[in-house]
Amino acid sequence: PRREAAVAAALPAGRVPQGALSRGFLGKRPRRPRASAAPAGGGFALMCSCPLPADYRRLLEEPLKHPDFFNVKELFSLRDLFDARVHLGHKAGCRHRFMEPYIFGCRLGQDLFDLQQTLIHLQLALTFTAHVAYRKGIILFVNRNRQFSHQVDTAAKECGEYAHTRYWQGGLLTNAHVQYGAGVRLPDLLVFFSTLNNVFEPHVAVRDAAKMNIPTVGVVDSNCNPSLITYPIPGNDDSPSAMELYLRLFQVTITRAKAKRKQMEVLYGLQNKPPQLPPGP
Amino acid sequence: MAAAALVATASRSVRRGSLLTKTRVVYEGLGAAPTRQRRAIWGQRDGDDGGSKVPSKNVESFASMLRRSPLIQMGPAKDKLVVGEIFHIVEDDLYIDFGGKFHCVCKRPETDGQKYQKGSKVRLKLKDLELSSRFLGAQTDTTLLEADAVLLGLMEDKENRQK
Repeated sequence: PRREAAVAAALPAGRVPQGALSRGFLGKRPRRPRASAAPAGGGFALMCSCPLPADYRRLLEEPLKHPDFFNVKELFSLRDLFDARVHLGHKAGCRHRFMEPYIFGCRLGQDLFDLQQTLIHLQLALTFTAHVAYRKGIILFVNRNRQFSHQVDTAAKECGEYAHTRYWQGGLLTNAHVQYGAGVRLPDLLVFFSTLNNVFEPHVAVRDAAKMNIPTVGVVDSNCNPSLITYPIPGNDDSPSAMELYLRLFQVTITRAKAKRKQMEVLYGLQNKPPQLPPGP
Repeated sequence: MAAAALVATASRSVRRGSLLTKTRVVYEGLGAAPTRQRRAIWGQRDGDDGGSKVPSKNVESFASMLRRSPLIQMGPAKDKLVVGEIFHIVEDDLYIDFGGKFHCVCKRPETDGQKYQKGSKVRLKLKDLELSSRFLGAQTDTTLLEADAVLLGLMEDKENRQK
C-alpha cells in the first residue's frame, strides 16, 4: 500500500503505467504526451492511509504543484540531442511496429527519430525521476549492453543510486521476499538505458516491473517495444555519445532532486526532527 | 568524449585532385553539426540556448538540423570516404568511430602497424552504416551492431603526401 501510494502520488493524472495497475483505470495513455508532467494547480490530494503532519505534507505536495519544479528543461536542448546522435535509429528492417509514431522518417534504409518528440519525452522522464528521487525513492539503473555497463555502474554510484548490469535472475522482483528474505524493499523506479538484453529480446525487468507496479523509464531504440515502459524515451541507445548524454542527464537530475529535498527540509524546519514515519517517501 | 572532440573540431572539407583523377570528397565530422560559419551562411542562429530562456523565433527545427547534417548530405554510405578516430584497440582489432550510429572494426594493417594507437585519425571507405540482414524464418533483421568500412590509412600520411 505504501508503494502504491508513492506511485499514485508521483504520477500525474492521465499518465497510467501499463500492467496490473492500469486495469482499474479508464482511458488509454495518450500517444503524444502533454507538455506538463504534473497536474496543474493545487487540489491534488495525497493518497496515504496514515495521517501526516501538516508541514511534512506540504513538503511532499509543493513540488507537485509546478509542471517543472526541478527545471530539467535547462539541462539539455535539441542541439545537444542532435550532436549526441540521439536521432539515429537502426535499419528499417529492425523496426518495431510500436515505434512508428516516434520515427521521423527513414533515410536510405536508416530510421531517424523525431527529436521534437524525444525532447518532450525526455523532459517528462527526467521530471518523473526527479520527483522519485525527491521523495527518497530507490532508483535502479538497468542496462544489459556490455559496452556501457561500467559507465552505467559508475554513474549510479556517483548519484547514490543503484545499478544492475548483469544477468537478471528470474525472481529478482517477483520472488524477492523468498529469495532475499521478508520485508525487502524493492526499487521505486527502474531506469533502462537499453530495454533489450543481449539476445535482442525485451529485458525481463520491463515485464516484472509492470507486474510489481514499479514505474519504469526507458530509452527505447527503433527495435524495442515501448508498450510496457511508463516513460519511454525514443532515441538511440547504441552510440557512446548518446549513452553519455543520458547518464549525465539522469545523474544531474537525481543529484539536483536530492539537494532540493534537503533544501526544502531546511525550509520547512524538518531537518532536525526525528523520523516519526516509516522509512520511505 | 574523444569522438565528440573529433567531430567538434573537424569540418567538412573538399579536396580536388588533378583533372585526370576523379574529384573526391572526404567527409570529416559526420556526426557533428556544421560549423558556425556555415550555419551563418544558411541564416541559422545559435538560438538553442537550452529551454530555460524563451525560445526565439530563430530556434532551429529538427528537420532543418537534419537536412544540413553531414550524415544526410553524404547520401548513400557506399564508397564514401570518411575520417574516423580509433577509440579502442584489442590486439589487432581497431575499433573506429566515424560519426555514425555504430563504430566499425578493422584489422591493423601490416604497413606502419604500430602507428595505429588510441586517438589516431584514420581514413575509411564506408561500405555500410549498419551490418544487418533478414534471415530465413525471422520476423526482424538480425543486426551486428557494427558498421562496415575498409581502412585506407592514417590521416597524417595523407596530409604528408599532400605537402
